[in-house]
Amino acid sequence: MYAKSLLFTTALLPAVAMAGHAEEGWPEPVKEYYTGQVLFDRLELTRTDEEENVAVWDMMAWYGGDYHRLVFKSEGENIQDDGEPTDLESAELLYGYLMSPFWSFQAGVGTRGSLSSDASMENYAVVSFMGLAPYWFEMDNSLMVNEEGDVQFVSETEYEWQLTQTSYLQPRIELTANLTDSDKYERQSGLSNLRVGLRYRHEISREFAPYIGVYWNGALGNTADEMKRMGEDTTETGVVLGTRVWF
Amino acid sequence: MNNEFNKGRRKFIKSAFTVASALAIAKVAPTWAIPQGRKFKDQVLTKDEIDLTIAKSPLLVGNKVGTPITINGQMPGPLIRLKEGQRAKLNVTNRLSEDTSIHWHGIILPENMDGVPGVSFEGIKPWRTYKYRYDVEQNGTYWYHSHSGLQEQLGHLGPLIIDAKDGDIGADREHTIILSDWTFEDPNEVFRNLKVAEGYYNYQKRTIFETFEDVRQHGLEKTWKQREMWGQMRMSPRDIADVTGSTYTYLMNGRDSAMNWSALFKPGEKVRLRIINGSAMSYFDVRIPGLEMTVVAADGQPVKPVSIDEFRIGVAETYDVIVQPKHNKAYTIFAESFDRSGYVRGTLTPEIGLEAEVPELRAVPERGMAAMGMGAMAMSGNKEEKGMMNMSGTDGHMNHEMMHKKELPVENIKIEHSEGGHGAAAAMIAMNPTSRLHEPGIGLDNVDHRVLVYSDLIGAQEWPDKREPERQIELHLTGNMERYMWSFDGKNYTEVDGPVQFRHGERLRLVMVNDTMMDHPIHLHGMWMELENGQYPRPRKHTISLKPSEKVSLLISADAPGSWAFHCHLLYHMKAGMFRVVNVA
Repeated sequence: MYAKSLLFTTALLPAVAMAGHAEEGWPEPVKEYYTGQVLFDRLELTRTDEEENVAVWDMMAWYGGDYHRLVFKSEGENIQDDGEPTDLESAELLYGYLMSPFWSFQAGVGTRGSLSSDASMENYAVVSFMGLAPYWFEMDNSLMVNEEGDVQFVSETEYEWQLTQTSYLQPRIELTANLTDSDKYERQSGLSNLRVGLRYRHEISREFAPYIGVYWNGALGNTADEMKRMGEDTTETGVVLGTRVWF
Repeated sequence: MNNEFNKGRRKFIKSAFTVASALAIAKVAPTWAIPQGRKFKDQVLTKDEIDLTIAKSPLLVGNKVGTPITINGQMPGPLIRLKEGQRAKLNVTNRLSEDTSIHWHGIILPENMDGVPGVSFEGIKPWRTYKYRYDVEQNGTYWYHSHSGLQEQLGHLGPLIIDAKDGDIGADREHTIILSDWTFEDPNEVFRNLKVAEGYYNYQKRTIFETFEDVRQHGLEKTWKQREMWGQMRMSPRDIADVTGSTYTYLMNGRDSAMNWSALFKPGEKVRLRIINGSAMSYFDVRIPGLEMTVVAADGQPVKPVSIDEFRIGVAETYDVIVQPKHNKAYTIFAESFDRSGYVRGTLTPEIGLEAEVPELRAVPERGMAAMGMGAMAMSGNKEEKGMMNMSGTDGHMNHEMMHKKELPVENIKIEHSEGGHGAAAAMIAMNPTSRLHEPGIGLDNVDHRVLVYSDLIGAQEWPDKREPERQIELHLTGNMERYMWSFDGKNYTEVDGPVQFRHGERLRLVMVNDTMMDHPIHLHGMWMELENGQYPRPRKHTISLKPSEKVSLLISADAPGSWAFHCHLLYHMKAGMFRVVNVA
């Protein structure tokens, strides 16, 4: 009898050390949860004031738990009927960690360039600080360093005005700055580009929401000067028609 | 089941679970044409040994066919009626393709009969039968439900009524009402939606036009002041229920409002209504326009009668009320979801087929200074990463009121937050949490009738353990809406090293602090919690609902050796990890 109860107590000891999982082979009462999402925040057709049609994507996919996530981000565009290949503005694979209730830190590698067989891609390391700022500004700030040591900073901010329970007016600002000059990629140091957009989005469902919008894009500082010197237009406006979709 | 009138003492219809509890109705209304009788079995099980079979079967829910989990072919499950002093013999057979379980909510029983897979037993494998055996040492209104995965959301639940030894129900007649929330979506999909898309089910957010209207009415400065705190905290004052009427069909005994579950009375009779909130996620505000309700039991335990016109019932709570309709007319039993996104109604009627006016849903309430019951709510410096609610009341009225109230033990307990404010798992901490037991809750503070508050509850009798607590345990309810993280002390179940230890035989004070913006119904298995609400005898509860930024204290006699679940009874909060095991040794 004594031996039996001793055996019983001993058998219980490792169980007590766990969160509550009382016996070998029993299931956990609460399991760890992992999930993922693919979100195309912008999947759109742009009509520029140059009368070009441009297909644009801006997406993010992630998989993981509450704190640790594997994140893939990509942006790019293809000017229709210009005979040029698709321009991959970024494709990044990152590890993301939730450091505070509203902010995650992400670090990884990325590549960008023209998607043609002869083009050489620009590879870079990237760190991002992504999250929700007070007053619900959704932000993604990234710092990139390429193989040449060129440093670039990109900040994207979005805000949503709730018009109805299923429609939104959304301003968006994207600011690019080069911390260094880059001869190879023809970048001038200083603030280089600002893109401001406004779109009206209507949710057919939470997952599928078509939108229309306008944008203004302007080169800044040394970048603008260089473009002027080359006789290029430094600003561009356009209208967009697209869909925000996730699954 | 039987429907005998016991004219000698108090006459009562035993087990008039629903109007469709068959023969009684046939006698009253032979021409009854409501189709609910054919679709609903409404079994009442009173046998000495009860067999329950768990299966998935297509069933009409509202006006659509869904595939709920049924118990003996019905959803919700049969009314199980036991008697105090008997030995419960319940054989549960699993005909699902996955494990299942039944937890007897609020019943004091041995550890291995509590029905929580991974804590009290292994669970019930497909095609296996688990024989639950325990001595019934209490009486009152309880319920049962699955503790496996998200099965509860699929309707795996039912009422459990225990008759007192003397059989007295304190009324002439009784009806049991179990409220639930049904969705045609896969519950796993619901959980994922909550995880990946904050506010997915909230269709009551504040729009820009409402802001314009506020500016027009109150001026820019005042509007900005009201919005400022929410903006800094990145939270919504309309974030009341995570899952709403946008996906839920609210049910009363399995019927939606159109099916209108009806229950009979004779004018002048005292009718005991046993009301159970068996929802996965929905708090209800319950009233019967035109009838005063007298609360006589909370969570199955008798309380001194309190007369009220409305009460809020948190998820998993039960209330017994007595009504005495005098007129020969129908009354609507109105259960309104507390975020006002939907309701379910039934009818209390002298004859089948009558119905009464159904109230309108009230306006969507908003959390905020008024809803929080405190005059001033100021943000700490906005350099803080995390919103902090500073609830030090500077409102004269409030302080005045509090001075006249008996001071509660919890008001003198200094609350400590873990270092770093519970980390990234907590989007907010309550800087100065207060007792809110005297408040009816969001959306009910300004109604023009009597609403039950926790501080009204007085136990009908003294409980055996009168010791003062020897030890105190403090737990914080924490959450982060953005990633739908829910936890205690910033850690979900999978992140903690061990159980919460209670010493066998000790008298404990459990202090809980709600560091979130949501209401949470917290349930302890295996042992009662005596609520320190300033009344004596204290009311005892199995489930206690905490309002945002509230602190409460409860006394527990750690008299039940073994491992017990302790968790938020909002199903998806539990799934997210707002769960602990309490080990009594």
